[in-house]
Amino acid sequence: MNRTFGIGDRVTVKNATSMFHTRTQAYTRGKTGVVVEFRPDWVIPEDEAWGRDTPERGGREEPFYVVRFKQKDLWPNYTGFDVDTLETEVAQRWLDPAKENAK
Amino acid sequence: MSSSEGFDEIEYRVGNFAPVLRTPLDSPYEISNELFAALRHVLHDVGGQPDLPQPYREKVEEEWEMNAYVTCECLGWRGVWNSEERRRAENDLGATLYFGLPYYARWATVAAKVLINTGQITPDELSAKIDEVRARLEKKSA
Amino acid sequence: MTRTHDHDHDAHAAIQSSSGVNEFEVLEQAVRELAIEKGLFSAEDHRRFSEWAESIGPSGGSKLVAKAWVDPEFNARLLADGTEACKEVGIDWLDPTGVGTPSDYTYFYVLENTPTVHNVIVCTLCSCYPRPVLGMSPDWYRTPHYRRRLVRWPREVLAEFGLHFGPDVEVRVHDSNQKSRFMVMPMRPDGTEGWTEEQLAAIVTRDTMIGVAQPKADWTATSSPSAG
Repeated sequence: MNRTFGIGDRVTVKNATSMFHTRTQAYTRGKTGVVVEFRPDWVIPEDEAWGRDTPERGGREEPFYVVRFKQKDLWPNYTGFDVDTLETEVAQRWLDPAKENAK
Repeated sequence: MSSSEGFDEIEYRVGNFAPVLRTPLDSPYEISNELFAALRHVLHDVGGQPDLPQPYREKVEEEWEMNAYVTCECLGWRGVWNSEERRRAENDLGATLYFGLPYYARWATVAAKVLINTGQITPDELSAKIDEVRARLEKKSA
Repeated sequence: MTRTHDHDHDAHAAIQSSSGVNEFEVLEQAVRELAIEKGLFSAEDHRRFSEWAESIGPSGGSKLVAKAWVDPEFNARLLADGTEACKEVGIDWLDPTGVGTPSDYTYFYVLENTPTVHNVIVCTLCSCYPRPVLGMSPDWYRTPHYRRRLVRWPREVLAEFGLHFGPDVEVRVHDSNQKSRFMVMPMRPDGTEGWTEEQLAAIVTRDTMIGVAQPKADWTATSSPSAG
């Protein structure tokens, strides 16, 4: 699958419906960060969790990305300092290009 | 289940998960979309929820805990399940068990369940084996 | 009362029922025996994996850090490809199955602390942990309170472990929510000039590689500095 995002791209995590199982955390939904690293193409956990853990079994492989967020962008009234960040890994399907007016 | 406790003693504990003094919201239902969303929240997704500091305790794994871990990994190794299925199974236990059971007891519980779910064993076989193991261990400790 | 890291290494007493038998042990053993009886895995599989589980521990990670501190080229290799570099200290992420462990996968990354970036690791969703290099995870790492709080209140949690950073240091939390497994490479402390790799490894404790502690020249893995 083609990688749609590059290192340095600003991306926003989709607030997609996720019944029963997901590994895209609620605290990242709708939040904007920057792609800092690539990860390999992995079967998405939403397929793995149901036994579809290889392409042969219907598991969909996608590029994953390390996304870095500013903590003050993630949390209301963040109690740390402006420099603080959080990194986590997100599958391509969960990412949109950041909107122009996003922080 | 221990036979030394009376029905009321056991049932009091079990019943207390839905306490007598509670506000029933489910029937006739008074559940808003917001509450439904909260009820549907994927349980393991706890990042950012409020909590209090607790002592950061150390605990050496007991033998059963190491064994439970190894059993689950061997089941993964030999293709019975993958670790994400195990993690989802732990969430599917529901909040009371998820937050109430010791970490490795969740592993042992879902390992038992996956064996039934995938048809490798029957519930009767599990119950019989539990009774057999308990009797064996009780004899050993007597 | 000051919240400090509790160095209670005494094993928490096992819960005993009135019959003296632990029901968790009963369940675990029942599952294991049934699985073996049904041929789902062999007793030999369980023994081999148990042996591996007993063999892993923080000393693996300590060796990586100590070697990186003395050898800048190894440092670069470690940061470029953690999984591959582990082989140089005898750790193979494919062990013991030949394809890796079901829960730890084979994508290992080392996070280098600098004077302006302090890394710390959590898995909010479960408790993913780099077992091949650090051994079994600490009990506290798996608790809801650590998983809930570190991502949102990292400086508070670090302060409870005795770490404080000013506004010029970026505290970078890594929520390991997918297949990657992480370890922190702490900064080498002053006062360790000329030390051997073995001496350096001795001050790289498990907690320094999670990111909730920093190595000190007078700490070792088994004794804290004399502080009364």
